[in-house]
Amino acid sequence: MDLLVIGINHRTAPLEVREKLWLSAEEVRSALPQLRQQWFSECFVVSTCNRTEIYGIPASVNGGSPSLDSVGQFLIDLKAAGATVKLQHLYRLAAEDAIRHLFRVAAGVDSMVVGDVQILGQVREGFALGLEQKTVGIFLNRLLQSTNRVGKRVRSETRIGEGAVSVSYAAVELASKIFEDLTQRSALLIGAGETGELAARHLQGKNIGGLFIANRTRAKAEEVAAALGAHAVDFDSIREKIQEVDIVVSCIGGSGYVLTRDEITDAMKKRLNRPLLVLDLGVPRNVDPSANKIGNVFLHDLDALAGIVRQNIEQRETEVPKAIAIVDEELGKFHAWYSSLEVHPTITDLHRHFEEIRQDEVQKHQNRFSSANDRELLDLVTRRIVNKILHAPTTELRNGSNESDEMKRKRIHIVRTLFGLRKDDPDS
Amino acid sequence: MIPLLSYLLPVAYFASVWAYAKAFFRDSLLASRLKTPLLVATVLLHFIYLSLRTVALDHPPITSIPEIMSVISLSIAVGYLVIEFWTKVKNTGYFILILAFFFQLAASLLIQDISEVNPILRSNMLGIHVSAALLGYTAITISAVYGFLYLMLYHNIKSNRFGVIYARLPNLEILERMSSIAIVLGFALLGLAIVIGIVLLPRAFADFSYYDPKLVGTVCIWALYGAGLLAKRSFGWQGRKIMILSIVGFGVSLFSLSIVNVFLSKFHNFY
Repeated sequence: MDLLVIGINHRTAPLEVREKLWLSAEEVRSALPQLRQQWFSECFVVSTCNRTEIYGIPASVNGGSPSLDSVGQFLIDLKAAGATVKLQHLYRLAAEDAIRHLFRVAAGVDSMVVGDVQILGQVREGFALGLEQKTVGIFLNRLLQSTNRVGKRVRSETRIGEGAVSVSYAAVELASKIFEDLTQRSALLIGAGETGELAARHLQGKNIGGLFIANRTRAKAEEVAAALGAHAVDFDSIREKIQEVDIVVSCIGGSGYVLTRDEITDAMKKRLNRPLLVLDLGVPRNVDPSANKIGNVFLHDLDALAGIVRQNIEQRETEVPKAIAIVDEELGKFHAWYSSLEVHPTITDLHRHFEEIRQDEVQKHQNRFSSANDRELLDLVTRRIVNKILHAPTTELRNGSNESDEMKRKRIHIVRTLFGLRKDDPDS
Repeated sequence: MIPLLSYLLPVAYFASVWAYAKAFFRDSLLASRLKTPLLVATVLLHFIYLSLRTVALDHPPITSIPEIMSVISLSIAVGYLVIEFWTKVKNTGYFILILAFFFQLAASLLIQDISEVNPILRSNMLGIHVSAALLGYTAITISAVYGFLYLMLYHNIKSNRFGVIYARLPNLEILERMSSIAIVLGFALLGLAIVIGIVLLPRAFADFSYYDPKLVGTVCIWALYGAGLLAKRSFGWQGRKIMILSIVGFGVSLFSLSIVNVFLSKFHNFY
């Protein structure tokens, strides 16, 4: 299959270069018809913060395959990024390499953070824009089905997407390792800065039962609380508040501890020693580290959370070979489907299919014919009927030799779908 | 058939333990798929084995220590399966089933076919008494294992060790819940065994004594768990304290079952 991918990603260009080629949905909508008109019979674009890639099947009318220079320059000109982006930042992969690349992207193997779970959705979004602009057809449709399957299998059969890879999400993961149901728990965010807010958002993503925000400046606490749908509380009341909440996320500036060991010990007595998770994301630290010695108090600082992230990334990397094995397996299936779109195997399959139906029906009804001669006649007549029915489609398939490869395969695909000849089809 | 099953059972338990271990420590997909069906098959095999023995020898399988061990092994496996189906937590099996494997291994190595048994052991009431006690001790064992897992995870989290234990065990609250359910069941079953023992058995045994070490030991264990449950309910004890209690209770139970049974018990020893 003559799939072509031309693009830029985090391996070939730094952020300040690749961001220049990032395409919004609107820009993709306007680019697709131009790409189709100039180079491709089918195409779609994937554009994320780490990659912008054009996937397309070259239109044979132009003769030859589109070059990196022509399509790459189109992309650079489209974004007027010539001052920053050079053709050397782009790459071009063709045929099997291009399909393997797409599968690896969907599997999260090619992502900056291995196992990125969002990329499959972003590929689908790119494809949806192609559908909307009518620039994708049978082949890319089938390719997307296989790509989807790769993504889903990799996520269900490997642990490549497991484990938090950001400090703020690691904090939430830690909470889930202590508490069974976060909807029954509440959290206190001390400090209304960006880091704490991100952790609070992750907690809300897990449907935390209650969220309170305390900040030295009450107005700022109220502002963030309004944005998060939380409750602002007085900064002076945090010692009382830790008696009732289950999770404390602290990320506030200034020197000195905002919570001392004695204050937490006192709170633990009042909360009947219920477990308390304290996530100290502040630098310098906001909570006395010796508080971790108190029973049922789980105190973790930035270094500890970074340790979780590091381990999770290592764990994800050990899963890469499993993901690649799935990519290779699905590549094989896709090839099997594509090879089935050859003229001769299809004619053979078509005849075999009709012959099976004929034999089945003859066997069912031959007892109604008493003499051997009648049964022979039945066999002969049904054989002739089948041959006559198949004559036109067989001739039509064979006569397509002057058509482009793509048109021929489209025609075969339609025949195979119409008559249910889907033995080599991975979806069947 | 019975001797064959006797040899086969430790192998079957070993296969189940291996699958649970491989799934937990090596994250093997194949082992993850095989582990529960393997255990279900092992439990069925074990059930058939004990049923055949009961029919062939004409007495329930509680007439010798190896038989009791086999019954304990089956109760541990069934207890674990019930917890697995109930909580949908499937990755703690290795820690529980390894006990079932060792109990059955010892049972298979030591078991003998005894046709002539103490007539007392054919008593139905004694059957209920023994069954309740065995199930109670099984529940206590399971509770202790979950208590142990809780403490492992607790210390791993406290000391920032985020390895296999952290990644694969369920969260602390689930482990505590599993252990607590087992404690409640163990407390109820041991209570039933004690009530039957104290109220009904004096009529059956002329040399019955309220000071029998096994009876005293079981009452102490029961009281210990009762005190723990009371502390949980009245003083809000939870987490680490309750888990330590479940392990201490298990230690005392082991002492009662082994030392007392072998060296101190008088009327309370039929084997």
